[in-house]
Amino acid sequence: MASVVSNGALRHEKKPLGMRMRKYWGFYLMFIPVLAFVAVFHYAPMFGIRYAFYSWKVVGDPKWVGLANFEKLFKQSQFSVAFANTIVFSVVKLLLNTGLAVVISLLLNEMISLKFKKVSQTVIYLPHFMSWVVTASVFSLILSPSESGLVNQALIKLGLIDEPVYYLADKGWWRVWYYIINVWRETGWQTIIFMAMLTSIDPGIYEAASIDGAGRWKKMRYVTFPALGNTIITVLILNLAKIMNLFESVFVLQNDSVKRATNVLQTYVYYQTFNSGASADYGYTTAIGLFRSLVGLALMLICNYASKKVRGRGIV
Amino acid sequence: MKKLIALMLALVLCMSMAAISASAEEPIKITIFVDGTIPDQNNGRDQFEARWEELHPGFDLEIIQPDHSSYYDVMQQRMSNKDDWPDVLILSSTYYVDYASAGALWDMTDAWENSRTKNSGRFTGDKVFEGLKLDGRLYGFAPTRGNGCVTYVKKAWMDACGITEAPTTYDAYIEMLKAFKEQYNTAPVAAAGFVGGEAPFINYLPEFYQDAYPYFVQLEDGTWVDGFTQDNMKEALQRIQDAVKDGLIDKETLTYSTKDCRDKFYDDSFGVFTYWAGTWATNLKTNLEANGKDGELVVLKPLEGLPLYFDRVPPVWCITSTCKEPEKVFDVFIDDMLDGGDTQMLFTYGPEEVYWSTKAGTVLDEEYEEGQFHMLENLEKPGALYTKYHIDPMLSLASFADGYYDPKEESVRPEAKAASALFNENSRMAGLVPGTDELSELNGDLTILKSEIIADIALGNISVEEGYARFEDEGGLESSEAIVESLNAL
Amino acid sequence: MKNKNVQYVTPSGLKVEGPTGLNKPRSQYTPFNFVNGLVFVVVCLVILIPIWKVLIDSLDLTTGYGVKLVPTKFGLAGYATIFSNPSLLRPLWVSVYTTVAGTFLGLALSTMGAYVLIQWDMPFRTLFANILLFTMIFSGGMIPSYLVMRRIGLTDNPLGPILLPAINVYNLVLMRNFFESIPKSLFESADLDGCTPMGAFFRIALPLSKAALASIGLMFAVAYWNDYTNFKLYITDRNLYNFQMKLRDMIQSSDLPEVAGGATENTIRNACIIVAILPFMLLYPFLQKYFVKGINIGAVKE
Repeated sequence: MASVVSNGALRHEKKPLGMRMRKYWGFYLMFIPVLAFVAVFHYAPMFGIRYAFYSWKVVGDPKWVGLANFEKLFKQSQFSVAFANTIVFSVVKLLLNTGLAVVISLLLNEMISLKFKKVSQTVIYLPHFMSWVVTASVFSLILSPSESGLVNQALIKLGLIDEPVYYLADKGWWRVWYYIINVWRETGWQTIIFMAMLTSIDPGIYEAASIDGAGRWKKMRYVTFPALGNTIITVLILNLAKIMNLFESVFVLQNDSVKRATNVLQTYVYYQTFNSGASADYGYTTAIGLFRSLVGLALMLICNYASKKVRGRGIV
Repeated sequence: MKKLIALMLALVLCMSMAAISASAEEPIKITIFVDGTIPDQNNGRDQFEARWEELHPGFDLEIIQPDHSSYYDVMQQRMSNKDDWPDVLILSSTYYVDYASAGALWDMTDAWENSRTKNSGRFTGDKVFEGLKLDGRLYGFAPTRGNGCVTYVKKAWMDACGITEAPTTYDAYIEMLKAFKEQYNTAPVAAAGFVGGEAPFINYLPEFYQDAYPYFVQLEDGTWVDGFTQDNMKEALQRIQDAVKDGLIDKETLTYSTKDCRDKFYDDSFGVFTYWAGTWATNLKTNLEANGKDGELVVLKPLEGLPLYFDRVPPVWCITSTCKEPEKVFDVFIDDMLDGGDTQMLFTYGPEEVYWSTKAGTVLDEEYEEGQFHMLENLEKPGALYTKYHIDPMLSLASFADGYYDPKEESVRPEAKAASALFNENSRMAGLVPGTDELSELNGDLTILKSEIIADIALGNISVEEGYARFEDEGGLESSEAIVESLNAL
Repeated sequence: MKNKNVQYVTPSGLKVEGPTGLNKPRSQYTPFNFVNGLVFVVVCLVILIPIWKVLIDSLDLTTGYGVKLVPTKFGLAGYATIFSNPSLLRPLWVSVYTTVAGTFLGLALSTMGAYVLIQWDMPFRTLFANILLFTMIFSGGMIPSYLVMRRIGLTDNPLGPILLPAINVYNLVLMRNFFESIPKSLFESADLDGCTPMGAFFRIALPLSKAALASIGLMFAVAYWNDYTNFKLYITDRNLYNFQMKLRDMIQSSDLPEVAGGATENTIRNACIIVAILPFMLLYPFLQKYFVKGINIGAVKE
């Protein structure tokens, strides 16, 4: 097969390291700026991670406390709920957003009216530009149980419900709408990357498939989807590293009634600090950051391992 | 050779003399770190600085001003490095308590006792300053009170219901709400949350909470209790539940932001709104009028038998412990802020010819004669006038000196002045709660639990008894008692 | 394991020879196309309702709480208030130049890094990849970042908010995915023709990744345009504020008294939101051509 041949051509039969490196000297040169940026902006501040083991009230001097910050974190009674919510919310959100983004991209790709396609594309990107605060305020209006609540009014007109529901005050409904609002805001934006990937598929392949008698579905399944596969997996795994950052989207939609049931790690820590009667201990917040990073790392490694098992390669 | 050496010596001497004389003349630099409560460079800050330096020869003011909303983030960054500490900074009550107990702030108790401001006879803020003391020591200075909320009632709604007198009792108040409900078929009261997120917590629904307070309070005899566990809180929650059930309080109070409330108030969706006194009285009025509604608002006095409105702990000016000459800085920067003269004028009304003028001229279609004080048009908001600089004249803790012209009458709108006067006469200050380990450890969970119970009771999801049973079951009572104990042990 | 990479990424059909042409459906009006169109009409409507609310409120001189179809009292005073603000042009200019410079720098770093990461047999490639990935997970935190930025003189310096976000590993890895879908053979033949790595980068990798450059460039541009965090943490000089900082400033200061020029605070706030979105609504159609047209790599392959 062609790919085997091309791989064979690139393969270097265990030549000495120095020689192999010399062959790539140009690439090393190109990588220097990237390394420099990463070193300055990411690695230099990383020495701050050591404060996870200190108590540092910012104006005082840092005091070594060992694992006390972590003990404090795990001791909080609501910690396990918040931790579980973080994982569930972000994984469901990630799968929903990415899945729907792929579906929307595939459908957009099939659209025949170019004008309508352009309009649709522009429209679905728009929500990304609304800040979370604005998004939350508009949605709490739309979901209102009063007469200004469009959703309740529509559902009553359709005869699906008799009484308006106070969605955001109900722990079950809150979650449903949380996902819907996330899909509303982010799915369109996520299609950008998939649309770009789809455009780079060689049209010749579709032609060839057509000649082989493949219909729309077969082409989608055997040509389009595999071409997207790599990007989908990459997007999923890279986002796993970030899932513990979940904060603003939850925070702006919360209210007193559902707070305890819907807290994620970051919102929980925020309320802990905010209500503690003191300004934040920088050591404690760093410890939480480190804990989140470790969980993110674990999730990413697991998925990368799974990816290697299933398709023979990781993401990098 | 000798001549050359002599020449060189003379030269060196001259240069060092010059250096010495230069350093003697060099002004003392005061760095201040401030949030948006000092208007920024687009709003005359440079002129403010110039005028201040003119009034205080020998001093050089350096103002560091991060974006208002990120002030505390940036401040914390700077404070993490002792070399970056300013001489003076403005702090909210939480940071004030925190930094003072960490020893980062200069103890100004003695300086304050001997200050010109305190002994001027013009100063009216003794109670406020008592509230700022930590363990009897003072670390910060507040030129104004903190301000708080008063209850505004739409006059047009009262008229429509034939109510001529503002209610003075709780019963009359409820009767009025019922009449509103009848007339307008909408819940007449709304707020941003059934309970506030920070002290003084209950300031948006004072008529219903009355004397109940959901946080730790110090009784007359000095002992601490958790207000949430007191009987008056249970009664308050029952009142709120009833009012929501009867449609007198909008149940969406749970999810409204203050912005939602204001928008709804402007479009006449409800009629009774407890909101900030002072300039907000004007703002509510003008927004209502811009909406084609009647802007006249009646400000309620605290109902009979009910405690006064709550005054917030004001932000305070502090001197850091790294400041080299704190006495001097206190004297020129802090004590002078309320000097009753030119500096107080500068801090209150801003720099002349930017914020105000006494020259003849026309501002926004109003004509002024020579010598008549008037505020000028806002540089950033054409069409609006400036109202104040750093010190809100309505909240100021000291009047101007006898004989010094105070333009308050001309510059402050009547409705704002009225609301403010009513508030000032009828307010009390919420005290600071000192930090304890138990508080910082347990209060996070405790507060979330309390607000959930309050919300669920208010919405009628559970009864008051069920709410307090949950409080016990979920460990709230235990935490609460532990914190109270730690506060009483101080 | 490395050797299998190419096989997965490159769709197997790539090796099928066939006449060139476009994937044109035989009939325009199949039920599928009809349903597909309908789906997007619904999707667009659902998306537009909340945005409509913001737009209408920005054009309405009265303040309403509910969703309206048209403004009760139409007026442009909200926008007039923003644009009559004399101090608005400078922040706008700051936003423009940080966005343009940052996007170029960001694309340069992402493409160079991505290009190096597809050299599967390059010694230390995996190490480099892991060095990058590690930064996605661990960070030093707000205060250490500030101390570093201050030490190297990037606080109160417009270069700070340009340089800091330019290295974005997420975008870099996505870019690498695109490069990977370029047939290996193209690079090999370039190599045989004596083309340097740099040469192949400019002559093969970049020209064949226009859609990717457009999409990742867009992601950078939006991040720079909307940047608020870096400005608020590293810039205290008001002359260096960008547009987002200015808008937030205005929204907040309209919380303070006085209503200007007939616009209610609500009108101004919503106008600010629309103004912040506007540049991309205008820019996007220009970028779109890169997403619509397929790039015919068939012509150059083999």
